[in-house]
Amino acid sequence: MPPREGTYGLLAEFDTPGDLVRAARQAHHDGWRRLDCYTPYPVEEAAEAIGFHRNKVPLCTLIGGLMGCAAMFSLETWISVLAYPLNFAGRPTYSWPAFVVPAYEWTILWAGLSAAFCMLALNGLPALYHPLFNAPNFRDGATTDKFFLCLEARDPKFDLAASRAYLESFAPVSVVEVEY
Amino acid sequence: MAHASHSKSLPANLGAPAFVDGWKSRALMVGAIFLVIAVILAFLGQSQDPEHLGWDHFLRAWVLGLMLTFGFSVGGLALLMVQYCSGGKYGLLLRRPLEAMSRTLPLVFGYWVVTAVFMKKLYLWANFTSVSDTEAGVKAGLISEIQAHCLNFKRPMLNPVTYLWVSVLCFAIWGFYAWRLNTLALKRDAEGPETTPFWIKKFENVSGLGIVIYAFTITAASIYWVMSMDPTWFSTVYGLLYLVEHGFQVLALGIIVTLALSKAEPVKTILRQTEQHDLGKLAFAFVMLNIYLNFGQFLIIWSGNLPNEISWYLDRIRGHWGVIITLDFIFHWLVPFTMLLSRDIKRNKKRLTGVCEFMIFAVWVNLFWLIEPNFPDAARNLHFSWGILEYIAVPVAMTAFWIAYFCTRLKTRPLVQVNDPHLAEILEPEHAHA
Repeated sequence: MPPREGTYGLLAEFDTPGDLVRAARQAHHDGWRRLDCYTPYPVEEAAEAIGFHRNKVPLCTLIGGLMGCAAMFSLETWISVLAYPLNFAGRPTYSWPAFVVPAYEWTILWAGLSAAFCMLALNGLPALYHPLFNAPNFRDGATTDKFFLCLEARDPKFDLAASRAYLESFAPVSVVEVEY
Repeated sequence: MAHASHSKSLPANLGAPAFVDGWKSRALMVGAIFLVIAVILAFLGQSQDPEHLGWDHFLRAWVLGLMLTFGFSVGGLALLMVQYCSGGKYGLLLRRPLEAMSRTLPLVFGYWVVTAVFMKKLYLWANFTSVSDTEAGVKAGLISEIQAHCLNFKRPMLNPVTYLWVSVLCFAIWGFYAWRLNTLALKRDAEGPETTPFWIKKFENVSGLGIVIYAFTITAASIYWVMSMDPTWFSTVYGLLYLVEHGFQVLALGIIVTLALSKAEPVKTILRQTEQHDLGKLAFAFVMLNIYLNFGQFLIIWSGNLPNEISWYLDRIRGHWGVIITLDFIFHWLVPFTMLLSRDIKRNKKRLTGVCEFMIFAVWVNLFWLIEPNFPDAARNLHFSWGILEYIAVPVAMTAFWIAYFCTRLKTRPLVQVNDPHLAEILEPEHAHA
């Protein structure tokens, strides 16, 4: 694949999450769809403002958890009943109360791992390169105290001059053009 | 702050909305109806062959009602103290309802006095107060050798005088802390914001020690009031089970009350979805902790399989009691756990209220399973009698009267604590802070 060139998008910088959310909400309302918010910590309202939709992570987590539970419970049952049936104080070999704790722990473990890996698989991380890191203010601020809204060039509404004017109407700290 | 212009401001009137009076009159009506039903059931049960246990069942159900309302009252006090120590914005929503719960203690004391007066009907140790009593009891076939041994061995603790002293001392301690925290809270609100750091420390210091003392008193109360109905059994985690249950039921009730109050000012202004979500998560934590301790106790006793411990569980599993404990597991853990996992349910007022109501229902099922099999007519033998229905009628009546009293307590002071740094934060838009 040849390297992509040209403009990735326009990046507006805000000082507060409130300003970002208001700008993002307006942009989404005005028909922008190829846009994204970048914040140093999770701002749920920002995700909702740009049309956050449901994803498959909860389903993955549920299936992973149930698989973990079934796997450990079956393993314990197989060991105690079929592979190494031992007499513990005259209890039946299938003594389910003793199986509950490991089965539960595996439910949690598998659910957690499924959630983490499913999240990575669905959101495309880890990414080795992202054009936004070309913007110095993004590099310095996105993980500390700045809030960013990026209108991407892939959006059909995108026009370098008009979109810059549009973003500036939200009174951001700055608007910079980001190259691929 | 740049976004200060977007924050809300508190309404002028911070008092409880008028519909709280409506709750009160409805609760009083329900209480009166169910009290009448309870008395009728007691007479029906008394006339029923062969047991004639109508009034016995009335008293056992009274203990259930006592434990339920005691949980709301003293549990409310405990959660209030925990909240003062832990901090958190959700506390601003809960504090005034929790204070109102803690101020219902006089009613709970009144409920307890009834069980103290009729202790001979409830507790074996109240009937056999000396070695000669137990010997005569064994000879007459009233108690077993094991029961006689346990009654003699535990007499220094399980006797009417100690029972009365310990219970009254516990009530005095809870009363002291309820009085102290409630009066300090009003004083705090009367002073200016420059005093806030002092008050935060003050409340931490009062509450910190209070939580430790509460843990001891709840252990003593639960052992005397419920566990000692079966003098042969013991479990070191028993007090903690009630402690966790308090968190479970008080959070459930606190959420119900807060969400119901949020239909009108002033709670409407301070309730944000973020804090509602936090309350749901906290309730979820107590759902987990509850099953953890309950199952832990069961697993240890099941593993040990010792005759002096396991019979308590056999009394509560055999003879169809297994159905009740299975339902208890489903109601008390499976349903709240799966429901509260969902983010959408925690953020939806109506559904979260529904889950919380169900959680309180589960507490009732659990108490039924804990109390009724203590008695020889019911151990390993779940069967229908008119008296069993007392377990519905009496606790409903007692809880209804408690709610009516709680509503009057709720009306006595503003619903928002104003001398608190969290107040400014909770009035900001939700996206201002993560």
